Amino acid sequence: MSSFKTTMIGYVGYRGREGQISFLLHRITGLGTALFLTIHILDTSLVYFFPQLYSHAIDVYRTTAFGIGEIALVFSVLFHGVNGLRVAYVDLIAPKLWTIPKSRSSVRWTLAVTLILWLPAAGIMLYNILRHNYGLFGG
Amino acid sequence: MQINLKIFRYLPDSGNKPHYDKYVMEVNPTDRVLDVLEQVRADNDPSLAYRRSCAHGVCGSDAMQINGHNALACKVLVKDLDSTDITIEPLRGLNVLRDLIVDMEPFFDHFRSVQPYFINDSELPADGKERLQSPTERERFDDTTKCILCAACTSSCPSFWADGKYVGPAAIVNAHRFIYDSRDTAATERLEIMNEATGVWRCRTIFNCTEACPRDIKITKAIAEVKKAIITGKLEN
Ligand code: FES
Repeated sequence: MSSFKTTMIGYVGYRGREGQISFLLHRITGLGTALFLTIHILDTSLVYFFPQLYSHAIDVYRTTAFGIGEIALVFSVLFHGVNGLRVAYVDLIAPKLWTIPKSRSSVRWTLAVTLILWLPAAGIMLYNILRHNYGLFGG
Repeated sequence: MQINLKIFRYLPDSGNKPHYDKYVMEVNPTDRVLDVLEQVRADNDPSLAYRRSCAHGVCGSDAMQINGHNALACKVLVKDLDSTDITIEPLRGLNVLRDLIVDMEPFFDHFRSVQPYFINDSELPADGKERLQSPTERERFDDTTKCILCAACTSSCPSFWADGKYVGPAAIVNAHRFIYDSRDTAATERLEIMNEATGVWRCRTIFNCTEACPRDIKITKAIAEVKKAIITGKLEN
């Protein structure tokens, strides 16, 4: 079996605990963030090369599908950032966290902090979609 | 109690693809998974292949993936699986030689690469006898002396699945055992090996290894200590 296949089946099939879940989320959110950055660099470059296309790109961003994608993107950036800080902190600064129970709870805390940061942002973004695209809330 | 057992089967060069054999069996809740395998071999299929030797969690031969989690078949009771559906698969990331038997050679190569033996070429003490060590000095690496090289940790590690060149948790545990031994003099050399691209920095602090270790070795802690020793250049932490 190729190591790619071994890894992918392992990601899904191996019953790791919080540590494996946070590792997987870290990978997925990292990929999501990288994808966004790539698209963003490309679309911003349109301003310079093809100004008409740029305004078209901005219209596409205002669609509901993109809006929902952006809400997911904010989650990706927040989780990736908070979890990155957690891993760096655990690895380099806090030997007392080098145990199974502490590692499990540090993952749960990371998720909680991410949600606390994300929910208000998601709320505001959702509000804007509903207001501008569906005319709710007097929009 | 009745269980639904699924066992991974594969015989390379036989023309058959890897597949699962299924059995509905009557077993005791206090049977170990190893007993269940023995029962299959005795009653159903004598060709089922797996490693076992001591049957008491000492030799480390029968590590396998049981319901998606690495463990020694001789240390897991059926009732502790909390399910009557039991799936048994070979360790991940090592090539399957037959059924539940994987090729352990790459694993042992990594073990050998960390110089897992005592190195000290200095003069013996004046009385010509042993090099003494205080109980505190011995305590420093006690945890990592417990490894039985079963490979449950290394084959539970996503970094190892992705790249078999990573030395893996078990090799690092055994490096740690000698790095922190006050009588050994090759710590610097071993830390250099650990600092290579295939060394400790592949560890993503996932803790799968620690969760899988049948000897309850605090593996991620040992890896973190080695990482820290490399960064600070000091052994005490
Ligand atoms: S058979 Fe020896 S450890 Fe299980």
